[in-house]
Amino acid sequence: MTSPRNLLLARLLLTLLASLLFQPRGALAHESRPAYLQISEIAPDRYDVIWRTPVLSGMRLPVVLKLPDGARELGESFVQESPGSLLERQKIEITGGLGGKRIDFVGLQATITDVLVRMATLGGAHSTILVHPAQSYVDLEASRGLLATAGTFLVSGVEHILLGVDHLLFILGLLLIVKSTWMLVKTITAFTIAHSITLAIATLGYAQIPTPPLNAAIALSILFLGPEIIRSWRGETSFTIRSPWVVAFAFGLLHGFGFASGLTAIGLPSTEIPLALLMFNLGVEIGQLAFVALILLLARAFTVLEMKWPRQVEMLPAAAVGSLGAFWTIERLAMMLAGAP
Amino acid sequence: MTDNRPRLPLKPLSALAFGVGVALISSQAEAHLVTTGLGPVYDGISHFALAPEDLIPVLALGLLAGLRGKEHGRRMLVVLPAAWLLGGLVGLAAGAPASTSVSWIPFVLIGGLVATDVQLSVRVTMALSALLGLFHGYQNGAAMEQAGPGVLGLAGIAANVFVLVTLIAAFVITLRADWTRIGVRVAGSWVAAIGLLLLGWTFR
Repeated sequence: MTSPRNLLLARLLLTLLASLLFQPRGALAHESRPAYLQISEIAPDRYDVIWRTPVLSGMRLPVVLKLPDGARELGESFVQESPGSLLERQKIEITGGLGGKRIDFVGLQATITDVLVRMATLGGAHSTILVHPAQSYVDLEASRGLLATAGTFLVSGVEHILLGVDHLLFILGLLLIVKSTWMLVKTITAFTIAHSITLAIATLGYAQIPTPPLNAAIALSILFLGPEIIRSWRGETSFTIRSPWVVAFAFGLLHGFGFASGLTAIGLPSTEIPLALLMFNLGVEIGQLAFVALILLLARAFTVLEMKWPRQVEMLPAAAVGSLGAFWTIERLAMMLAGAP
Repeated sequence: MTDNRPRLPLKPLSALAFGVGVALISSQAEAHLVTTGLGPVYDGISHFALAPEDLIPVLALGLLAGLRGKEHGRRMLVVLPAAWLLGGLVGLAAGAPASTSVSWIPFVLIGGLVATDVQLSVRVTMALSALLGLFHGYQNGAAMEQAGPGVLGLAGIAANVFVLVTLIAAFVITLRADWTRIGVRVAGSWVAAIGLLLLGWTFR
């Protein structure tokens, strides 16, 4: 015998399936199709909201989404109509987050329609709730603590640098130039101090660099290191080879603006800027040090294995740094001149 | 005649792992991956990192190379990624994954060789590396043909294989104390045990 619990579960699954397979096909359209609300946390206190309601014979579902008091729209909302549904998308900000607050679906009581609510948090947690006409609201879970917010930005910082091949290639270029442990420490420290300065300056809004020239300049910094690595391996010298930490500091200032663009892209809650900045920067440092450690471990492993690479293979890292730097420089300059945003 | 035997859940697991990896990467810092064009490389890296059926045999091969010595390690760090890449290219072209019902073999074979610490010639170790690389590379290539990352994704996987086998082999070579060598052999026995579990699953 089917229990009420199983029936509820089956209904939830069916509704979920229906929402996934939601197609604008007239033959399948009827008023009991669910509405769909998706809330994705894009930054602490900021959310991407997608609200989709079924449309039958040109009439949309008479249900109005009522967000909690204090929620304000960021920018203009996006509305898309299709034969079977109406989709609205907007970004919102609400102080203290949506946790512990109520979302109402005004008019839902008068329908036989359910609303499927999916919530995704920055921490990766997902929840799915089915709202029925009998209870036309949903109470969202309480907000995350300070520790969870800090963790989010820490992870974002680590991810930003580890997925930022251009930053990693610059660090690799520096590693290939430095000749002693002390110089390595000085160089990495200089890079860290420099990018921390500009990351803070840009995040706090004291200075901004438009993205296209910034990206081109970062690419140029990588290209700059290619010939220096070759020069270093040929036994020649230059200012960069003698004092790589100065170059690391100078270009580190640029890379810091790049990190800032990554941080602001996530979105910064006005109340938590110092914490976000600190944790994001810490995450960048952790990722950077992990990458440096990996390269040093690899170099040590080659020594242990007594690996003797052919000359051409030895040149590969320098070639990769130089050619990718050149490619990105040309590509980004072209984009900048073409007026890409 | 239709083969109705239950299959190992490796392919779905692999597909799931791949999907999770792509989702994780694409949801974060995608701006970087778009501007550098190296997103597919990261797809490959995450695919490998999340696929134990690929990861564990490579770990075991690294242990084997480390136990056998520097010459084995030196050659393996070239042969294994190269074979993986070659197999991947063939898989990309073919597009149809091979049967996963033999996936337990590398676990049992390589794990067993590590556990027993058998003396092997460099040729045998290299043949094993080449076979493993070709088979797993083919599987990855076929999966990527369907999922999208293509050659750059394979390059990401090959780079991962290279780094992993280099680090593991060098680490084992640096182990001097007898008990550490026994520890490595125990790890090999675990890999073999996993293979036996997979075998049991295949014929259950």
